[in-house]
Amino acid sequence: MEFLNPAALYAFFGLPLLLIPYLMRRTPRRVVFSSLLLLQEFSFRREGRPWGRLRVPPIFFLQLLFLSLLILVLGEPVLSVHPIKIAIILDNSASMQALEGQRSRFAMALDEARDLLSSSSPRTRVDLFLTVPRLERVGKDALTPTEALTLISGLRPYDLGEAAVDYGEELLRLKREKGYERIFFLTDHPVRGQGGAIKVVSVGRSKENLAITSFHVTKHSFGSSQLQARVEITNFSPREGRFRLSLKGEGKVLSAGTHTLAPRNSMTASFEGFPFHPYYEVELEVSDALALDNRRLAVPPASKEFKILGISPRPEAVHSLRLIPGLGVDVISPGAYEKSKDEEHSLQIFHFSAPSQLPQSHALLVLPPRENPLVAQGRAVSPPVISAWREPHPLTRYVNFALFRPVYARSLKPLSFADSIIEGPEGPLVIAVEHGGFRYLVLGFDPFPYLGRENLPMSIFTMNFLEWFYQGLGGSVTATGEPLQVRVQEDGVLATPKGDKFPIRKDSSLFSQTFFQGLYQVVQGDRQALFAVNLQNVKESDLSNPVPIDLKEETGNSGSPSLLFSLWPYLLLLSVLLLVLEWFVNPPATERSSGSSGARL
Amino acid sequence: MLPAPFTPDFLSRLEALRLKTRREVLGSRPGSYSSPRRGTSLEFADYRRYSPGDDIRYLDWGIFARSDRLYVKLFREEVDLFVYLFIDASGSMAFPSPKEKFSPACQVALALAYVVLANHDHVKLHILQTASTSSASPFYRGRHRIMDCIDFASSISPKGVLELAPALGEHLRRIRRPGKAILLSDLLMPVSSCQSGLNLLRAFNLDISVIQVLSRQELDPSFPRGSLALLDSESQAELRLQWSPGLHSEYQERLGRHNRELRSFCHQSGIHYSLFVADQQLSEFVLGTLPAIGLFK
Repeated sequence: MEFLNPAALYAFFGLPLLLIPYLMRRTPRRVVFSSLLLLQEFSFRREGRPWGRLRVPPIFFLQLLFLSLLILVLGEPVLSVHPIKIAIILDNSASMQALEGQRSRFAMALDEARDLLSSSSPRTRVDLFLTVPRLERVGKDALTPTEALTLISGLRPYDLGEAAVDYGEELLRLKREKGYERIFFLTDHPVRGQGGAIKVVSVGRSKENLAITSFHVTKHSFGSSQLQARVEITNFSPREGRFRLSLKGEGKVLSAGTHTLAPRNSMTASFEGFPFHPYYEVELEVSDALALDNRRLAVPPASKEFKILGISPRPEAVHSLRLIPGLGVDVISPGAYEKSKDEEHSLQIFHFSAPSQLPQSHALLVLPPRENPLVAQGRAVSPPVISAWREPHPLTRYVNFALFRPVYARSLKPLSFADSIIEGPEGPLVIAVEHGGFRYLVLGFDPFPYLGRENLPMSIFTMNFLEWFYQGLGGSVTATGEPLQVRVQEDGVLATPKGDKFPIRKDSSLFSQTFFQGLYQVVQGDRQALFAVNLQNVKESDLSNPVPIDLKEETGNSGSPSLLFSLWPYLLLLSVLLLVLEWFVNPPATERSSGSSGARL
Repeated sequence: MLPAPFTPDFLSRLEALRLKTRREVLGSRPGSYSSPRRGTSLEFADYRRYSPGDDIRYLDWGIFARSDRLYVKLFREEVDLFVYLFIDASGSMAFPSPKEKFSPACQVALALAYVVLANHDHVKLHILQTASTSSASPFYRGRHRIMDCIDFASSISPKGVLELAPALGEHLRRIRRPGKAILLSDLLMPVSSCQSGLNLLRAFNLDISVIQVLSRQELDPSFPRGSLALLDSESQAELRLQWSPGLHSEYQERLGRHNRELRSFCHQSGIHYSLFVADQQLSEFVLGTLPAIGLFK
């Protein structure tokens, strides 16, 4: 027989405490009686009894028996002929990097795991799990405690937020499917409810924290060369936070300022007019529990010209975009597009034409023909009526739709999930799709030629979608855990912030192991590209209000040894009932009113 | 104001009662109790030879006709009664509380006093406590003096240790006339002590009645089980024992034996004996039990 929870057996040392109430009760109750004349002899008789002083009622032995059973059950005895199978799940999300005094929560969780493994029997078989990027086993299955101890010493937390997982359900499923006799989940989440064989060990307490929740470096507009940075800071603590915020370019401080932030509030700080650097870093100088979210990185958008490739049977219409400063426009015929190999244009505008498959760049499709990869054609309307539009949305801002009158329109029927931006009575007229890191916009009307002030609503709409596409160009920030879109023309190497290097093949465009915050560098020959990857999970930064784990009761698992464990509340209840019963049968040493104080009334 | 049990109905029923004595008494005034002296009652006692100066109205002319000798008829004298009510006011009478034992005992005494007063006899209340605190009321006569009896009884609070014989002796020293003595006590003392006290009363030629007053707690103690330190209500002596149902029944058996010995002694000594349980109805005891033992005519 072995014990899954041997620490509970230490409670046997506490069993002698059961004698205390009996020893207390041995202090005789003082009761006043009218005359002791008729009781004198009884006293002599009792004193003559050799075992009189050691007398305990039979119920004491019953209580002793039940308490011993209770302790045994809490120790979770397992009568097994096979090795005991347990799972240890370590929460390695970003919030586990929070400091509790001098040590991180993850280090504390590792200590708990080591304690568990050290007290396990050598026959125990352990599976180790990590929670992020997803709940999955690490190492081989059925490790010995020694192997597991070796393995956990190499584990570290990731800069990742936790997936939206119901851990109560997930742990139960794991237990059911893998048949674990005990699951230990070491996490910083509080726990609610009873889990039977699932035991959640919570490390860490509620902490105050200030965090940078957003950081972007953008151009003022696609026609401007001036950069601006916007930083959002959130105070997750119940007290006012005072901090110094500094913007750095390649490690050099460009601008800094001191701010105060109200409790449980957010603020946005802006920086403008700073010089161009390959990457920027914003840093929150404050002493709080989680240092990870006090630093953010961003890569600025490309400084080169916003170049557009128009594919149109009517080139003059697209050419009209040249009136907009900062734009480079090239126009080719649809026939020439299939032969060309475009690599330098940021946006492709298919005017009355469409590619056979989605291009690997941002694309605008204006009244696409029937054969296109995004929409089916609906009814033609002339003149169209605008009945609804998304608001607020970058594509519709500042547009006066009362004056927005295309001459001709055709309603659109998206072939896959798409965002309807502008709608007429017959259906969507403008839809937007984001796929594979690129933005695609389909218009059911023709916005060209660009007429400037002569058609102000349409010109504003044109500027909106050009801005929207421009915002979709580089300089965006990727969240940890999201794959990087790496577009390479030749084989290269990707270096992570931790210094690990991964070869990138020409045909591979996704790098998914973005587990740590920092700059990821892609080197192809003499060219290099930077990607800023940041923790973008507010829940990880909110250390004062962690989401509790709701443990569910197990059902229908009668063959499991944990059935015995599930009996403990009943045994406890029985012991308490016995104590209460004994209390009534042999009441405490309080003086009875009729026998003592009442005699003097 | 009279205590609660003394309702008009109860009082009128008490007025119909008269204490019965087994001895002739020496009263001070004409009354309804036989005296050893010859007097003027209607009850014939004896004949005596006529002497000059005798009242010729008492000559028995029938004897003179038959024997030619003059005899006068003698009649018994009927006098009033002196009743001494001895009330135990020791500490044990305050168990479990004065209201539950001493007050009922006093009410029995007052009911008896009222019977005496209603018959224009004399009653005196004697409080039995330690020798230093013992007290006695003056003689009362006439039913209106019942209020004085109540006032006197109300002024007593039970306390102290009672040695029956010395306490009685203290009171008996002041008694000049024989009469009827009624002792109200729990008699929770050695039987020999009770006997000494009662023999003392007998030595003073008193007609004795004993009413033993016990509370329900004494008859059927409800102590918690387990280890007990019992304190004597009078001497404060401590006694440690393990209380159990067995001990409970053993105690009841011993109490029964104690009471039987007392009853037996009283029976042999010509003493009326009765047990009054303090939670018993007063009217039921006075009007039912006491007449049954022959305390009333």
